[in-house]
Amino acid sequence: MENAEQASKEIIHYLPQYIDFLGAHVHMQTMYMSWLTCIICIVVLVGISSRAKVIPGRAQCMLEMLVKWLCGLMEGNMGKEGRRFFASFLLTLFFYIFIANEVGLLPQVGGHLFHFTSPTNDINAVFGLAILVMVLNFLVGIYRNGLGFFSHFVKPFPLMLPLNIVEELAKPVTMSLRLFGNILAGEILLIVLYQLAPWLPPIAWIFFSLCIGFLQAFIFTMLAIVGFAPIFRHDH
Amino acid sequence: MVDFDATFFAHVVNFIILFAILSKFAFKPLIKVLDERSNRIVNDLDSAEKTRVEAERLKAQYTLQMEEARNEAAAIVARATQNAQTIEAEARTQAQAEKNQMISAAKQNIENEKQQAIADVRKQVIALATEIAGKVVSQKLDSPEDQALIARTADGVL
Repeated sequence: MENAEQASKEIIHYLPQYIDFLGAHVHMQTMYMSWLTCIICIVVLVGISSRAKVIPGRAQCMLEMLVKWLCGLMEGNMGKEGRRFFASFLLTLFFYIFIANEVGLLPQVGGHLFHFTSPTNDINAVFGLAILVMVLNFLVGIYRNGLGFFSHFVKPFPLMLPLNIVEELAKPVTMSLRLFGNILAGEILLIVLYQLAPWLPPIAWIFFSLCIGFLQAFIFTMLAIVGFAPIFRHDH
Repeated sequence: MVDFDATFFAHVVNFIILFAILSKFAFKPLIKVLDERSNRIVNDLDSAEKTRVEAERLKAQYTLQMEEARNEAAAIVARATQNAQTIEAEARTQAQAEKNQMISAAKQNIENEKQQAIADVRKQVIALATEIAGKVVSQKLDSPEDQALIARTADGVL
């Protein structure tokens, strides 16, 4: 792990863009790319949605296809109530991670001043999202089911309590490490390939990474859906 | 890059702001349009189903009316045929009766004419015979007895 980290630091040369905010360290490259991702999300999604018509155009059709597909998955796992409750959050999560994964693959036009990287190649960013999902899961679970929400920790029998706690804590760790690892590895490998053979292999790898970006966004969202599902289990 | 720092919180705040914006300005209108479309489709299907049921009902009604009209037409035709046959039979009977009546009247006339003609001829024969006889015998045969004699003779001739 340390070797990989060292290697990645040596290969991806960021500008020293760290700031200290109230004594805490903030990695600005991640924040810049996160803002860029947010801007792309807002421009694309709000742009299409604000002009949404009952008879859709091409862009609206495309967006609706994705939204309906995700809403179908939500409804299948959490029921209609769950879908209504979490649709906006999970759709935001999916589109944000998807676009975040892909912005790292944009052509590096900034030279040494600026790199396009995925905000999801920063463990802080993805761990933040995973923790957000976990906290939201607890808050909404307690809000909807009261303290009965915790009953699933002692199922199928009370002896399972320690295992269930470990499972619950492992969820955000595995979710974030999976996404972070895939995206960081993809970017590092792209740079390595570019240095080894500048023409065809990186293009093939970019195509592969685009698919991985979509897949990882889907996996993260799907795991969040599965995590939220017990809250609405009595509904279906 | 795997150092945990305040980027964690900054990124979460970033994401929450994005969530608030997208949920209000992107997904809300989009889901509204989707719901609207889905409602419209449901309504259209409902209305199409209603129209279909109504059309079926009207079709059944029209078929029934058509059948009734056809039966009525057939009944009218049958009745008319019956009437025509009755009228024809009546006319035929009446014509037959008139014919018979005319024939018998004609026969009667002929008989009358015949009797009249015979009477006339008889009268003329008597007169002629009388005249002939008068001329032949050159004497008057105008007494009733002579006349009766002559008449008997004439009847015998005739």
